Amino acid sequence: MADDSFDLPGCLDRVRRRDQVAARELVDHLYPLVIRIVRSHLPRRVAEEDLAQDIFLKMFTRLEQYQGNVPFPHWVSRIAVTTCIDQLRAQKRRPEFRWADLSENEAEVLDNVLTDERDVTPGDALEARELVHKLLDQLKPDDRLVIQLLDLEQKTIAEISAQTGWNQTLIKVRAFRARRKLQKLFQELQNKEKS
Amino acid sequence: MNQFDHQWQKLTALARQAGDPRDVAAPYGFATRVAARAVTLPPASPWAAFERFALRGLLVAAACGVAAIAVNYTIFSSEPADDYATTDTVGEILNLS
Repeated sequence: MADDSFDLPGCLDRVRRRDQVAARELVDHLYPLVIRIVRSHLPRRVAEEDLAQDIFLKMFTRLEQYQGNVPFPHWVSRIAVTTCIDQLRAQKRRPEFRWADLSENEAEVLDNVLTDERDVTPGDALEARELVHKLLDQLKPDDRLVIQLLDLEQKTIAEISAQTGWNQTLIKVRAFRARRKLQKLFQELQNKEKS
Repeated sequence: MNQFDHQWQKLTALARQAGDPRDVAAPYGFATRVAARAVTLPPASPWAAFERFALRGLLVAAACGVAAIAVNYTIFSSEPADDYATTDTVGEILNLS
């Protein structure tokens, strides 16, 4: 998406006329946007390239339905988000989260965060990211997406609304529900750690 | 800010520092492969959006049908012949009996 000179309307016109070169240019142009969404919400055991391909194929088959009411990248974002959520829903059961599932470093980071005895260091960032993703895996797909966008990508409610198509009240409700579930999870982990 | 909020913000702030060093450019051949498939795909039908709700809709309709039969079971189970046999409407109107 770094190429600001890209003629998106012209490219879309050519794609609608079944121009394969234009379709390739469009994929190249949108790939960074799509792959960032896929990586943020990638379900377990799903290859990111396969999911990206599904998203692009959906985009092409629905292109006639695009009315131009929202910017085209937002429209593609919504397809990407709903495709990822559908994949997460298809996985159905979320494995129970246990202290034993954490690596030694992840457990140490979590311990530091929970007990507040020692400051976490930037060197713990990778473990923290893995840990956060394991915790987010425990949430419902819609709730997980909201927390991911709010707390990790630091997007505003309005930006999330534009990206997902959900209204702002719904996003706040989902964020509240997700944080309550995470709080419960933290308490359970603290209790297990003490026992 | 309660204790959980403090802990969660601390953890996510640390997780954000990890960033994501992976390349975001399309892998070689990806765009060509997808574009080749895209031009052969038929456009989605306008009804495609409803397809994902079709099964759920069918189940709800079936449940409504069963509920309607259950609620009105007495009407279905009564024998209409008896009603006709015991009611002489014309006779009642003309007061013949």
